[in-house]
Amino acid sequence: MSTEISLSSQNSPMELACKDVSSGYLGKKVLDGVTFSVREPAIYVVLGPNGAGKTTLFRTIAGILEPYSGSVEIDGQPVGLQASRDRLHFLSHVDGIPDGLRVEEALRFYASVQRATEADVERVLGLLEIEPLRGRFISELSAGQKKRVSIARIFLKERDFYLLDEPTANLDPKVATEIRDLILRLSRDKIVLYSSHNLFEAREIGRYVIAIKSGKLALFSRIADLRPSRYLIGVRVTRGEESLPAANRKGEYYVFELPGPEEVPKLMAELQGKGVSIREVKEMANPLEDLFA
Amino acid sequence: MAGVEPRDARLPNITATTFKRGVLAGRLYLIIGTVVSLILTFSLLRSAHGSTVFATTFPLEIPLFASLGAMGGLMVFVSDRSKGVLEYLIAYGIKPSRLFANALLVTIGLSTIVMGLALAVGLGGYVASGNTISTDMADSILGYTIPMTYASSLFAAISGMVWSTLSTPRVGVNSPVGVTPMLGVAPPMVVLVLAESFDKAYYYYVTAGAAAAFLVLVAVLLFASTRLMGRERFLSPM
Repeated sequence: MSTEISLSSQNSPMELACKDVSSGYLGKKVLDGVTFSVREPAIYVVLGPNGAGKTTLFRTIAGILEPYSGSVEIDGQPVGLQASRDRLHFLSHVDGIPDGLRVEEALRFYASVQRATEADVERVLGLLEIEPLRGRFISELSAGQKKRVSIARIFLKERDFYLLDEPTANLDPKVATEIRDLILRLSRDKIVLYSSHNLFEAREIGRYVIAIKSGKLALFSRIADLRPSRYLIGVRVTRGEESLPAANRKGEYYVFELPGPEEVPKLMAELQGKGVSIREVKEMANPLEDLFA
Repeated sequence: MAGVEPRDARLPNITATTFKRGVLAGRLYLIIGTVVSLILTFSLLRSAHGSTVFATTFPLEIPLFASLGAMGGLMVFVSDRSKGVLEYLIAYGIKPSRLFANALLVTIGLSTIVMGLALAVGLGGYVASGNTISTDMADSILGYTIPMTYASSLFAAISGMVWSTLSTPRVGVNSPVGVTPMLGVAPPMVVLVLAESFDKAYYYYVTAGAAAAFLVLVAVLLFASTRLMGRERFLSPM
């Protein structure tokens, strides 16, 4: 299947286009006729089950894999050109940090590869609490610290497109939040393709979703436009529990299925009429979950 | 279209960084290769006076220890592959062939260290103990020791890299890094077997020919190996 979708912004000249891309590994086709283009600075969350082809998509866009057919272009230029590569940052799901170097040396190594400068290295050392680690060998770092160093390299040099394959996987919540904030700030004027298995994170930071299933583009949409197949509302109460059906209780919440969000005020009024004091109301179903169904 | 940006000259060169890492990663092999070859050199020197043992044996031992001492190049390659460094470098425009070539350059550098030290100590000690370097011995060093050192080291390294590229990462003695030192023995073994089949007059043609054949094989594997980069197993080691 090939789905032609184009989202554009009046203000941005950036365009990343996948045109009928089929790609894979030495003859084994993983991506099949994927077509989309992105122009608007935002976070595009790339979702799909394991083995769907998300990492292959990132590798193809990054120019690591050459498409069997079709093309990946940045502003009309093939992504294989060095000038196109110089507009991309790629962060794979493995750390990609060379052994045998201290943190500072590793960042200088990355800077050399990216044609960044010594000053960029000093600036990035101040990010993500890396400065205290600068003299330590990579092998001495914890998994979370390694991930921070790995992520720091995408801030060495400003580029237009960021391909981030599970950047917050295996991070403690504090660092994950910090990194999400940095990426959110980036996305104000950059295009970020962000793969994640965390659907709540995806919904929280993504503006668009690109769903890949069995190597094909299954969906490209604004996340705000997605509706879950069942609209579930969770209500946490401080008083009046006896008026609520026990069968609806799921942990701390009483769950109600409604036809849509427009019915929420009516439900609230009904509950308050029964003497229920409401502490919190939240949507229980994530529309992105349906993409894995 | 924007041109390619220049590199900040104060930042390290990728090949130089790889060499430094190769020395660090393979330091134990480098130390063992150097020390064992020097121990053997000293023991041969003790019997050198008035004997042909040193002149005939010394040039033969160096390639074996040099290929052992040069393991750092392969070790960096295997480590970078399993940690996703190679994938990262390709994404930023480094050609796959350069990644293999960098590891081979490290191998050449490390084997030169082992061979250079052994030759300096061995020949220096030999001359210092009142001997002269014969034409046969010089021919042996130029026709066998030097080409075989590079042929053995490079053949072992490229075989290990190709094997690592084709296989799931593993550690221990049953891994490319564990087995590759044995592969360094192949070129000298081929020479020894062939030398028996030819007249002594052709000995140097056999050694030079074998070394050249292995170096051509290294070049062919280097050329072919860049195509292997597209394998999922290579790019998804974890």
